[in-house]
Amino acid sequence: MTTLLWILPLVPVAFGLAMLGVRDRRLFHALDLASASATGVLVVIVARTVMRDGSLRAAGVFAADAVTVVFLGLIALLGLATAIYTIGWMRREVAGGDIEERRLPAYFALVQAFLATMLVTVLADNLGVLWIAMEGTTITSALLVGFRRDRYGLEAAWKYIIVTTIGISFGLFGTVLVYAATAHALGGAAAGAMNFTTIAAMAHRLDPGIVRIGFIFVIVGYGTKAGLAPMHMWLPDAHSQAPSPVSALLSGALIKCALFGIIRFHTIARGACGPAFSGRLLLLFGLVSVVVATPFILTQRDLKRLLGYHSVEHVGIVALGLGIGGPVGTYAAFLHVLNHGVTKALVFFVAGDALGRYGSRDMGRIRGFLRAAPFAGTFLMLGAFSLAGTPPFSIFVSELLVLRAGIAAGRYVTVAIFLAMVVVIFAGLIHHAGKMAFGEPDEAVRRGGEAPSGVLAMGLLAAVMLLLGLTVPPGLDRILTRAAEVTLGS
Amino acid sequence: MSPELATRLIDALGALLLFTMILILAAGQLYRAIYAVAAQSVLIALAGAVLGATTHNLDLWIVAGITLLVKAIALPWLLLRVIRRVGIRREIEPVVPITATLAIAGGIVVLAFHLSSSLGAVRQAITGNALPVGIALTLMGVLVMMSRREALTQMVGLFASENGIFFTAMAVSQGMPLIIEIGVVLDVILGALVMGVMVLRVRSSVDADIAELDRLRG
Repeated sequence: MTTLLWILPLVPVAFGLAMLGVRDRRLFHALDLASASATGVLVVIVARTVMRDGSLRAAGVFAADAVTVVFLGLIALLGLATAIYTIGWMRREVAGGDIEERRLPAYFALVQAFLATMLVTVLADNLGVLWIAMEGTTITSALLVGFRRDRYGLEAAWKYIIVTTIGISFGLFGTVLVYAATAHALGGAAAGAMNFTTIAAMAHRLDPGIVRIGFIFVIVGYGTKAGLAPMHMWLPDAHSQAPSPVSALLSGALIKCALFGIIRFHTIARGACGPAFSGRLLLLFGLVSVVVATPFILTQRDLKRLLGYHSVEHVGIVALGLGIGGPVGTYAAFLHVLNHGVTKALVFFVAGDALGRYGSRDMGRIRGFLRAAPFAGTFLMLGAFSLAGTPPFSIFVSELLVLRAGIAAGRYVTVAIFLAMVVVIFAGLIHHAGKMAFGEPDEAVRRGGEAPSGVLAMGLLAAVMLLLGLTVPPGLDRILTRAAEVTLGS
Repeated sequence: MSPELATRLIDALGALLLFTMILILAAGQLYRAIYAVAAQSVLIALAGAVLGATTHNLDLWIVAGITLLVKAIALPWLLLRVIRRVGIRREIEPVVPITATLAIAGGIVVLAFHLSSSLGAVRQAITGNALPVGIALTLMGVLVMMSRREALTQMVGLFASENGIFFTAMAVSQGMPLIIEIGVVLDVILGALVMGVMVLRVRSSVDADIAELDRLRG
């Protein structure tokens, strides 16, 4: 079974290499779908094994526990949805001359490499491997952000690669410090001194002082990559300039992988310094993110930048859940990772359609979207209501759980600020979405002709979004509960 | 080599590393900053050799060799080549005055030593002053990146910052596992290549320094 953990990231690598030799567009999509399906099947097998045996380990490099499973599931689901969506999207991009046919192998291979590095990140047991894979995600996705090679794309890609590379080099420093603490406690550089499972098990023996400095480096470093304010400045640029399917993966899955890194160190810091220290820092960064994102969401004119700032808010909410802590807060954080990932990918798919239809990302010029594209328009409204936190959609549930945990923990000020911001953002978001959805589109706007693949991909994500809003299936509930337990070190 | 001698040598190298960092911060010409970061990488390689000789750990010698090849020779060569290819402006125009930057740098060094002296017995896990020097180098590298606008100067800051991490990582008991060090260096090379390509592409397509593009706002 442990070989599965090695095979899993190799699937996209193998398909990506195969794609370099392909010239036929249909074959790209076939390979893309095959890769996503194979990954999906393997993830399900890993999830079942982990839930049966508690964890899976492979040679001190890779390991999977319930926390891993949550993130693996998200990556696999979004990978599949993106592969489906790309079929219709790519046809239009190539027809419109936005992407040259000869660059298709590079695009598809890069997406596969990007998926592979994300899988390695969340499968890593060795914290050094986690860092290497996380930097790998930066390099592969920076090339995708700048894929169109125009000045905006390159500007965004440069900011992205330079800011996140320096950011996560802080993460490496934090890793080195925790490694030093472990090596000291073990009396020398023993095998496994960099492995999360080893460190977490002996966290109470680590020197709290050095772990504290290490955690500060990690939360600033991986927090930069996760888009926590005030280190989020690159995020709206990168997420808005990337090709839309890539935006969906960046906002939906990648920033969650950075959160995965923070969660691992949170567990270690809880063991070494007690629960208060890292929780308080997460609470602080979470609250700052929610507050900082709000004015930008209200005044935004660019559709994809709006979604980017919105991701800053939601990463902040996950950090709030982790910071409030306890079984409920942590559970809510994991649920929110899934809910936001699914919903945000859905809305980026819609945005990709709107961009192609209206030829503009300016929300002032997008009118009558429901008339122009009935399916995508409907998904836009559903997605907007979910993102704004309305029942019966999934994000409402996880936000409510965060609130409940906050009240139970007596964090009234935090809860009050959070609630105020959510209400303001609700109003702003529904206002923006309503203006885009209703009204009469201009004559010049291309109506109808919605790609079946696009509708299918959006429908898949919308179905998951609605399902998670109505009920958390028992299997998923067990995974999330277990993930919270692993994080809290019990 | 005895551990006491190694500690003294590491502390001496640490002082030299801080000195090269000051040179990078004060450099008015891009060339000087690049030569200073190359010199800094040579010092890091020397530190690896010293620690390798002390701990009799072959891995550290290998890491020292890789550092010398990659960070002291290949990456500076890449930067100089990019300069020649595109005729980038050679003067560095700081956003913040250099005197102010140096004052902040002084503050960072004091803070780093203060932080690490607050630690207890765990300090023994890291040879000599490698921890405060590493923290200071890392933060000062960020300072370089924030106080300059040219793409290549920002890359120099990034490399200097990573040097700080390498210095501390080498000095942790036996150094990090070799395979991890190699992976990290590989990422550094790939990242630098991608950045270099981006700089060249923006030069050729819009004739501007990529770090000075500022259309994306709000």
